[in-house]
Amino acid sequence: MSDDRSMLASQLGAAEEAAARESRHEVLRELLGAYADRELPPETMAQIDAHLVGCGECRRALEVHATLGARLATEPIVAASPALRARIAEAIDAAPAPVVAPAVDVAQVRGARSARLAWLAVAGWAIAIALAFVLLAERAGFQPLRRETRRIAAPVASVPLLSGVAEDYARVSHGELPGRARDLSAVRAAVPFPIEPLHAPNLRLLAAWTAQVRGEPAAVLAYRLDDRLVVQYLFAEDAFFKHPAVRAAVADHHLLEAASGGRAIVAWPEASSTGTVLIGDVPPDWLHTIWRMESSR
Amino acid sequence: MPNSPSAPPAVDLRPRFEAVILPHLDRLLAFAVRRCDSVADAEDAVQEACVRAWINFADLRDDSSARAWIYRILRTVLSDAREKTGRRQQLVYITRLEDAHDELVGGEHDAVFSEVVARLDAEAVRKALREIPEDFAAAVELHDIDGFKYAEIAEIVGVPIGTVMSRISRGRKLLAGAIVAARGGVAQLESIDAAAERRAQRGGPR
Repeated sequence: MSDDRSMLASQLGAAEEAAARESRHEVLRELLGAYADRELPPETMAQIDAHLVGCGECRRALEVHATLGARLATEPIVAASPALRARIAEAIDAAPAPVVAPAVDVAQVRGARSARLAWLAVAGWAIAIALAFVLLAERAGFQPLRRETRRIAAPVASVPLLSGVAEDYARVSHGELPGRARDLSAVRAAVPFPIEPLHAPNLRLLAAWTAQVRGEPAAVLAYRLDDRLVVQYLFAEDAFFKHPAVRAAVADHHLLEAASGGRAIVAWPEASSTGTVLIGDVPPDWLHTIWRMESSR
Repeated sequence: MPNSPSAPPAVDLRPRFEAVILPHLDRLLAFAVRRCDSVADAEDAVQEACVRAWINFADLRDDSSARAWIYRILRTVLSDAREKTGRRQQLVYITRLEDAHDELVGGEHDAVFSEVVARLDAEAVRKALREIPEDFAAAVELHDIDGFKYAEIAEIVGVPIGTVMSRISRGRKLLAGAIVAARGGVAQLESIDAAAERRAQRGGPR
């Protein structure tokens, strides 16, 4: 009776061992392709090495993998004809050029950030000094100095250049901007005077294009200032100074300030034989600040 | 009325494109030829892939991955073409191929099989590859013919590396089965090989 039991246990053990071996064989057989290609980790390669010693079927399956791999590696390459190469070159010539996203210059970003921090520090000191000055002035019975207004004597409507700018601004600010920032180099090539974009904190160039304003060629640069649109119209010097009201304002104050339909306008002559007319739906002081920053550069 | 300026000259990417993409043209064409009905169709697919690659060339950040990138584009073009023409691969039953493979490795036929495979011409290889499902054939070809590593194939095909491993392993089994089945089974394989051997001994063609 005990002999029967031990025989049964032995048979069960052997069956379990065979099932485990078969299961292991199935798993390893699935890995033979990767084994042949040496794409398995070393410990798995070693397991398969050991299995192959005792498994003829896997050795033959491995040989099939190796045979096919070796044969396919000798598959002839089809040479692309010169005609196809020429066709591809022509098709690429006719296709739109790839659009390159501007690379982020970490050093530049850091520089801009430190410049902004430095500007904030200076602004902080300026506010503190201004407050101290106001307090001292009040004690001495003085009124703080108001910023001198330099508004143009004649209404904007009577100066063609300014009314043309106001009309053009009204049009572009209600539609899609007619250019992109990367068009700046093309705009530079299209006008007979030099163009240098404005620089100020939070002022970012959005687009550039050319326009005719009351018959005068202009380079137009659109900027984002915080969340507002500010547009700079650059004219040749002779066009800029054509109207006597502009000449008078510049002669008296170096700057012309005006308003049209609630929009602020400032205009000033550039050092490079051009004149800028800057317009935006912003408080006049914002444009004035930009002018001050430009004139101090 | 504003005059929109003409587009400014872009950063000249063309020399870089020609240096990293065009050297793979021959292999791309071979890959396409194995999947198209004619060389002309394959050439059209390669041309379309090159144009798409050019338009999106700014997306390629690392030149060392250019080869896998252009293959991925070509596979998309070929797949689009298949959908457009509504053409489907004519497959034989996979179980039949698997049975043929199992019969092959179940006996001592591996030496004969090696002989047969060594004598296969390009057309026979192409025919066998077209008999197995595209996903399996592509994985096998990308590794064995075009020399990509498993990780690169995973990138090209857009599947995990474990799937690539499985597709290559099963793809070669099916390919072996297709080669055997095309010759009437393992028994026939033996007789074909024996006949070739006799011809060789007589000095005739194998």
